[in-house]
Amino acid sequence: MRNPLADVPVPLLDDLIDDEYVRSLVVGVVGTLGVLGLLGLLFPGSVAGDLAGIVFSTGTAASTARLAAPIVLAGLGGIFAEKSGVINIGLEGLLIISAFASVYIASVIGIGNAVLGVPAIWIGFLAGIVASTLLAGVFGVVCIEFKADQIIAGLAVWLIALGLAPFMSTVFFGGVNTPNLGASVGWRYSAVMVLVATVASWWTLNRTAFGKHLQASGENPKALDTVGVSVSRVRYAGVLLSGVLSGVGGSALALSIGQFVGSGETMVQGKGFIAIVAYLFGNYNPLGTLGAGVLFAGLDATQIRLQQLGYAIPDTLVQTIPYVVVIVVLALVGRTRIPAAAGDHYETEE
Amino acid sequence: MIEPFVDRSVAERILISIAAILLSIAVGFAIVLVSGRIAECSTAAWTMPVTGLGFCYDPFEVYVVLFNGALGYPFAVGEPGIFNPSWTPFNLSLGLTLSETTLLIFTGLSVAVAFRAGLFNIGTQGQLVVGALATALTVLALAPLLPAGPISGVVIVAVGTLAGAVGGGLWGAIPGALKAYADANEVITTIMLNFVAANVAYVLVLEVFRAEGSSVVATRYVPEYAQFSPWLFPDSSDFALLALLVGVGAIGGLYYLVEHTPFGYDLRTSGVQAAAAEYGGVNAKLTTVRAMTLSGALGGVGGAVWVLMSEGRWIESVPDLGFDGITVSILAGNNPLGVLPAAFLFGILKGGALEIGFRTDVPTELVGVLRGLIILFVAMPEFFRMAGRYAGLGSDGPGGPGTTGNDDGSEGADDGTDTKGTAGDGTGSAAAVDGGELDA
Repeated sequence: MRNPLADVPVPLLDDLIDDEYVRSLVVGVVGTLGVLGLLGLLFPGSVAGDLAGIVFSTGTAASTARLAAPIVLAGLGGIFAEKSGVINIGLEGLLIISAFASVYIASVIGIGNAVLGVPAIWIGFLAGIVASTLLAGVFGVVCIEFKADQIIAGLAVWLIALGLAPFMSTVFFGGVNTPNLGASVGWRYSAVMVLVATVASWWTLNRTAFGKHLQASGENPKALDTVGVSVSRVRYAGVLLSGVLSGVGGSALALSIGQFVGSGETMVQGKGFIAIVAYLFGNYNPLGTLGAGVLFAGLDATQIRLQQLGYAIPDTLVQTIPYVVVIVVLALVGRTRIPAAAGDHYETEE
Repeated sequence: MIEPFVDRSVAERILISIAAILLSIAVGFAIVLVSGRIAECSTAAWTMPVTGLGFCYDPFEVYVVLFNGALGYPFAVGEPGIFNPSWTPFNLSLGLTLSETTLLIFTGLSVAVAFRAGLFNIGTQGQLVVGALATALTVLALAPLLPAGPISGVVIVAVGTLAGAVGGGLWGAIPGALKAYADANEVITTIMLNFVAANVAYVLVLEVFRAEGSSVVATRYVPEYAQFSPWLFPDSSDFALLALLVGVGAIGGLYYLVEHTPFGYDLRTSGVQAAAAEYGGVNAKLTTVRAMTLSGALGGVGGAVWVLMSEGRWIESVPDLGFDGITVSILAGNNPLGVLPAAFLFGILKGGALEIGFRTDVPTELVGVLRGLIILFVAMPEFFRMAGRYAGLGSDGPGGPGTTGNDDGSEGADDGTDTKGTAGDGTGSAAAVDGGELDA
């Protein structure tokens, strides 16, 4: 099937994205938004007008940034892990544990207090990253050292966090939801972190020796071993990076409202799985992941605003869209190819 | 991805499962201890001997309540005698435990049958949701057409269960077909379809099938006579012996199907080596679709039993039975026969969680942590092999130091040094037994 969008010339994009599929995705989204904006300008009173008003409002931008942070950051982390050859399906768990740890540490220090001049909320932020990285480290040891099945170990990471965070919350705060800190991290910080992380990830993956090693570790570990680079070490780095990035995402999620909600599926609510969707949708390209994450978060944010304007669309159906999109993309268009050696153990030959 | 589960001997699997359970209990013990130290309480529930440190939670009591309570306290604790004289098997707690066991048998079988075909069906949860809704709607539609009574009750239960199987089977066939004909990874598609199933079923019930005046999103209750009736056990336990018997029958049937029929042969060979199976005349694509349909149907039956035995209606808060099914199946080594003890163990954990909530201050979420830990440890058989070698070499455990294979020992010496040593100490005895029997 010839992709018509692949032939649209966009000079800047061509340098950044050599992938035809991601490119057409970007062009498609920008095109849709453009058409929507145009319709909104032409017919201000219609549904299109309302929709355009919502999509291009700062309120929607703010909630999109807030909702997109965990998805994009965990997605970027997922790229590093999977490129290195370790499929990390436990991103959801990493988000949950960092969301809880960030709020817990911030409340232990006390909002208003500071350690070494750093306000409590930012210490909490760091604690979330540390917690997530530690859990990712356990996952790495289990997968790389003990040759565990990566999918099952990833599920275990999710389930452990899903049990542990509400457990700890009940131990410390007497309920699965923590009290609100009364302070939060603004959406602009989330937006900046997302953008910086995306660009840095792109740079690391495409312009550094480490990026090449990651690629080789997932595609052809034997070749990497032959040139004298430790496959295990590269894979540990990939998995730990997924922990760091997911930690940033989870902390940003919880601290953007100043509370951890642990009931049901917790406040993370499947964002870790959407993150997997986002990087598959973006075909392992950080920019594509950013686009997909913002798209999914934007859909959610738009839907919330539409409800407020009195359009009765069941919100649950709108939230279903990303999942359906992924199934369709996987089945028809993308057929995103996972790294050849992802999911396999590598035995060093000595 | 699947090979580690296929080419391992049954005895080794059983040992690894038992070791994983013991290790997660040990880690859970540590978690209770640490959180009991951090939590705030007026009087210590347990004081550590020698050190005199007080803890808010008593880690021994937690496990006693968990396992004893799940069975309805058959063992006397703190009183003379081993057994509790007033205990009967038909008590509420054991009923709740067996109710969970019954549901987990179906979801565990669902995951196991897909595993045997080399497919990781994470979508049992979604298949259960869809099957449950199909059952509830079918029964609600059928009940007014038949006269109320036990005979039409039997018909309705049978038809309702069949509807659940069809609903779940169709939902399971989707990722199967996507895998077979579009090469879409079933792990991703089944996760996605879980969310789609939950959301679509929720909206359908919310907008169309919601019971009038209901404060929650739920369908109407199905008539009492159209449910599995609780023989012997109290009504409030939501447990029907008949459903458990159906579950046990399903275990036997599936075992026969997988091990002794041509379809089972196709299933297993395409699970072990799809290309070779294809070469040997197996239609691997069709087998994939069939396996996922069968898997989905079992999940759907689980949903049917949930509606007709536990809940009496479809309600939005569907428990995580599908995800627990993954744990059950992995713990069972994906063998249908292993599903029974594994489901019973998880039934105990679930039933015991309620008792922990009643009798202790420890948050019941502990059981969720244990569930995750068990999966994690079962997923890493290599850890127990290393620990076994390490213990077999370094200590005089039951396996004996000199008698076990020395080639294994020398291999264990260079990598059995740092982290495994400390972690292995927790289950020193289990690991030693492990190592001893493995080499024998």
